[in-house]
Amino acid sequence: MPDTNRKATQSEAPLYAIEVADVTFTYPGSDQPVLNHASLTIEHGTFTAIIGGNGSGKSTLCKLFNGLIPHYYSGDFEGEVRVQGMSTLQKNVAVLSKHVGYVYQDFDNQLVRPTVLDEACFAPLNYGLGDYRQRALRALELCGLSHLQHRYIWELSGGQKHLLALAGALSLEPEILIVDEPVSQLDPSHARQVYEVLRQLHQAHGKTIIVIEHHTEFIADYCQEVCLLEQGRVLWKRPVAAALNSLEDLERLGIQPPEVTQAAALLATQPQNGYPITTEEGIRYFTELWQPSQGHSEDSQQVQADDNNPNTFIHFNGASLNYRTIRKAEQTVLHDIHLRIHEGERIALVGNNGAGKSSLMKLIAGIAKPSKGTVTVLEQETSKVSIEQLSRDVAFVFQNPEDMFIEDSVQKEISYCLKRRGYPEADATLQRMLQSFRLEALQERDARLLSGGQQRRVSLAIGAAIRPAIMLLDEPTANLDLATREELLSTLEELGHHVRTVMIATHDMQLVHRWATRVIVMHQGRILADGTAEEVFASAELVYHAGLALTQSMQLSLALGLHPACGSPAELARRLGHTFTGKEPLSHGACPQLV
Amino acid sequence: MSSKTLYTLTSSQKMMIFVLSMSLYGLSNMFTELIPSFQLGPIELSVEYFAFIPLTLCILFHPLYAAVGAALGEVIFGELMLGQFGGLGELEKFLTFSFAMYVAGRLVRNPQNRMQVGIAAMTGVIIHQLCSTLVDIGKVWIGVEEFEAVPGLAESVVLVEGVSFLNDVLFSGILFALLPTLYLVPRLYGKIEPLLGIKPRVSTTRYEAAGIISPKLVITGIVLALVAFGAESLSETDWNIGEWDSGFADRFGIGAIWLSLGIAAVIAVVTLLVLRARKNRNAQSGNVENSPYA
Amino acid sequence: MELVRNWFNKISLDRIQLELMNTAYGSGHASLSRLDPRGMLIWYLFFAVVPWFINSYLVLAGMCLFMIATTWLSRVSPFIILVLCLGLIGQVGWLFIISLFFGGDISSALPLLKLTMKLSVVSLASITVFSGMDPEKISDGLLALGVPAAFSFSLSYGYRILPVLFEEFRNVLLSYRLRGKAPEHHGVLYWRLGVYYLKLLVYAFFPLMLATAKRSRTTVEALETRGFSYGMRNPAAKKLKLAHLKLQRHDFLFLGGSALYVALLFWLNQGVF
Repeated sequence: MPDTNRKATQSEAPLYAIEVADVTFTYPGSDQPVLNHASLTIEHGTFTAIIGGNGSGKSTLCKLFNGLIPHYYSGDFEGEVRVQGMSTLQKNVAVLSKHVGYVYQDFDNQLVRPTVLDEACFAPLNYGLGDYRQRALRALELCGLSHLQHRYIWELSGGQKHLLALAGALSLEPEILIVDEPVSQLDPSHARQVYEVLRQLHQAHGKTIIVIEHHTEFIADYCQEVCLLEQGRVLWKRPVAAALNSLEDLERLGIQPPEVTQAAALLATQPQNGYPITTEEGIRYFTELWQPSQGHSEDSQQVQADDNNPNTFIHFNGASLNYRTIRKAEQTVLHDIHLRIHEGERIALVGNNGAGKSSLMKLIAGIAKPSKGTVTVLEQETSKVSIEQLSRDVAFVFQNPEDMFIEDSVQKEISYCLKRRGYPEADATLQRMLQSFRLEALQERDARLLSGGQQRRVSLAIGAAIRPAIMLLDEPTANLDLATREELLSTLEELGHHVRTVMIATHDMQLVHRWATRVIVMHQGRILADGTAEEVFASAELVYHAGLALTQSMQLSLALGLHPACGSPAELARRLGHTFTGKEPLSHGACPQLV
Repeated sequence: MSSKTLYTLTSSQKMMIFVLSMSLYGLSNMFTELIPSFQLGPIELSVEYFAFIPLTLCILFHPLYAAVGAALGEVIFGELMLGQFGGLGELEKFLTFSFAMYVAGRLVRNPQNRMQVGIAAMTGVIIHQLCSTLVDIGKVWIGVEEFEAVPGLAESVVLVEGVSFLNDVLFSGILFALLPTLYLVPRLYGKIEPLLGIKPRVSTTRYEAAGIISPKLVITGIVLALVAFGAESLSETDWNIGEWDSGFADRFGIGAIWLSLGIAAVIAVVTLLVLRARKNRNAQSGNVENSPYA
Repeated sequence: MELVRNWFNKISLDRIQLELMNTAYGSGHASLSRLDPRGMLIWYLFFAVVPWFINSYLVLAGMCLFMIATTWLSRVSPFIILVLCLGLIGQVGWLFIISLFFGGDISSALPLLKLTMKLSVVSLASITVFSGMDPEKISDGLLALGVPAAFSFSLSYGYRILPVLFEEFRNVLLSYRLRGKAPEHHGVLYWRLGVYYLKLLVYAFFPLMLATAKRSRTTVEALETRGFSYGMRNPAAKKLKLAHLKLQRHDFLFLGGSALYVALLFWLNQGVF
């Protein structure tokens, strides 16, 4: 497809796509400027990542580019922003939006029309562009959604919705595209899909792309430049390799460098600047350092779950689950599941979207009843007891903590259930939970206004407060920045003291590796594998088939022939260190659970 | 675009209030439409509406946009989507409902004063119910000649209307307007406004159009009512040509929606004219001014 | 009170959602939904207003039959028809019974039958048009007939946001149930359970209001970046939006056929009486 997007701008030939000169902005009602003398230039046709800690002004900076600031948000604005050579003060949002497309972090709320094609037509129609249909079709084509053009939006998956939001922005054929945290709301494979589209737009169509991102692995794989924000100021803008090697700055702002970079830094005897940032680079880097004996690990024998374990907590006996869909068709999401789950297990449920992870958990919590077969939880058949009854033993923590907030303070959230159901010593339990989950200082706050990590802790405390025998967590690490994620892992340890069996549905393989004692791999409504993390990750075929997204450390250790795969860069560095010094010549050394 | 005046809402903030009110009240309307009513003889205990939603929003935000949004939400979610759209007949509901909610919102000066909130909530419901009941009974009174041809029907109409008024005010009004509003307003006050980027209203808050809307609102209402009644009376005398024998008598015995079709048709025309005129005058952005009051 | 029990046992929120979604979105293939929305709206206006001025049983019955046919053609979900029938029977039935107490007799039934027919014609006409037609078409039709752009936008936005709202509502309700306590005894006619659910329904709006407020903010901001307010001020945008509306042969056939049929009814009526 020919590049149609530059015709207007070529003649003017402004030097930069975006120039931000000494901008200070304060939101109305706040006395702290969120941008503080920020200056930045972005050249045409670059792929730039904007990173920074929470509250560093990343989104605010991006809202300068399409004129939302200062036109839409009233506030104190100083300085100048030029987009394609135009000063944003003199153009309104509507004009600037033709040049700058914006995809929001909660992209779901950006979609306003019922069907896919309508959504893509929406913007060009508003501008009265006669060729709106062609534009929409072109945008859908670019995002790989052509085959879905007649679908309703609610029929799409999260990744497809994100691509549609992208297509909606592309339909105006802007030269600049801003995408706010594409990874945070998507599972890893969908996030990669979105990035592949962005790469295509960048390389084949010459768009200038700006992403707000804190997943440095994605930055390493896709971006050219990185711009670091600290407290409303642009600290620096560097090429990606140099940026991700600026370990001190990243560490200070709570941004985790890519795992390979961390491992390389940990291994290096003296600080240097040329650490690898992508897995491929990592493989080259470490192979140069050391040629491992291509030791082949013995295939660990399949450890079958012990069916004679007396403390079976959950028993699936040929359970299936059907959903009725809108077109009056029945869709089977779980096929004939046989499964026993015992006391004290830490179970990770993995698999790509639509594999049936959530449905399996819903069956356990009694939110859905099996269409065939039975599910028995602590000797109660789920189809025969009410949700209220079953939830005394089973706590279900939603993926989105906000869906669990029904009160107006943290303290009330936690004690709601205790009081409702008249648990003895409700106040003592509340205090214990607040303490365990480090919520004492926050107890009077509204949980909705807390940060992502704090919200997650509240949701875990809510679940744990009733001392359930079984706790089910849906994607507890989704949408968390990396520092918060670390915090969550220690919270999970805390949870172990309150709950006897925990099951987590997740895409986060690092979490699986570090936490789970048993991993159940699901695929298309069936159980594909069931074993320990080492067993599951050892089989490349299984990993590929189930669509699991391994972490850089795992990919690297598998590529280097380290078996079992390492879960964290620290472990990778230590084991590589050992191999270099000859302490661990064999590739099937013990893998400690937690580092 | 941005305004320096402290309590002036930008057009996008108005749109946010409107969208918020529309989606929430619309959703609630789907439920109330589906909740079965308990009929004990002629007395029907039904959940008429969740008036607490628009009441709460009208008290917390600019009442006009919240009220019009809620009324439109009812039409879209509760009627059109459920396939129960009464067409023209919905207009009367739309007008009386947004009027009542708007007045209730305007009554409250300080959202933290429970007394004011309570009085406003009940007033809102009573105004709405009174409007629709009076309109219904007034229409019966006009058509009373033919109406007496069916014995007992007049009494039944008064009884049914009276009972439904009492039910709606006492049952729906107290349980689904007064109590929830008293519960929600203080809890949401100061919490929900920042989510929309709006400052919480305080007792000194004046809405930008405060001075203009009130009298205009009342006058428009009265004029519309007069026009409606006038047209109704006319139809008694002049329209009985040939086939077009006015069969008004028969329909005066039934609930508000169906009765008011004739009236609504007139109102519809007037409204459309008003809208046309307004639209030509100022095609302003963002804010949704499909109310003839604004 | 079988209905009450059914309500709690059989009708789950999932099922309601499914039915509503079927109602709202499932009408794409109906033969009437291909017609031009402007024509359909005018057609509707006729059948919504005219029956009130007609006193002849024959014409009303004829129209009623016609409406049944068009409703069938538009493949409305049975759920809606059920709601409609219950409503009609409830309203008119009670009126009849009460009028008996006030000295009415069986002769009141005849005018009430007429009333029922009028009501049916009007409601079936609105069902035919408004639930048989794609929401986008309705909003285009209304826009063409001069209703403000905000209304037609709100309508299609409603269709977009409904599943999202439902999902959120379900999760909130589930949170209440997972952490709450259902009454241990159902009470006579399940009234305790009824009260429990009604209370949940009300409480659920507290978190929902906050969540929706958050959402509206993004939505309105995104609308701004996509030229929505620009489009509202721009007559060219409206013209473009409506450019695809064309009265075609089948529109004329349908409208003409309807007119002929009604004329025939009036003619027959004249002849008979």
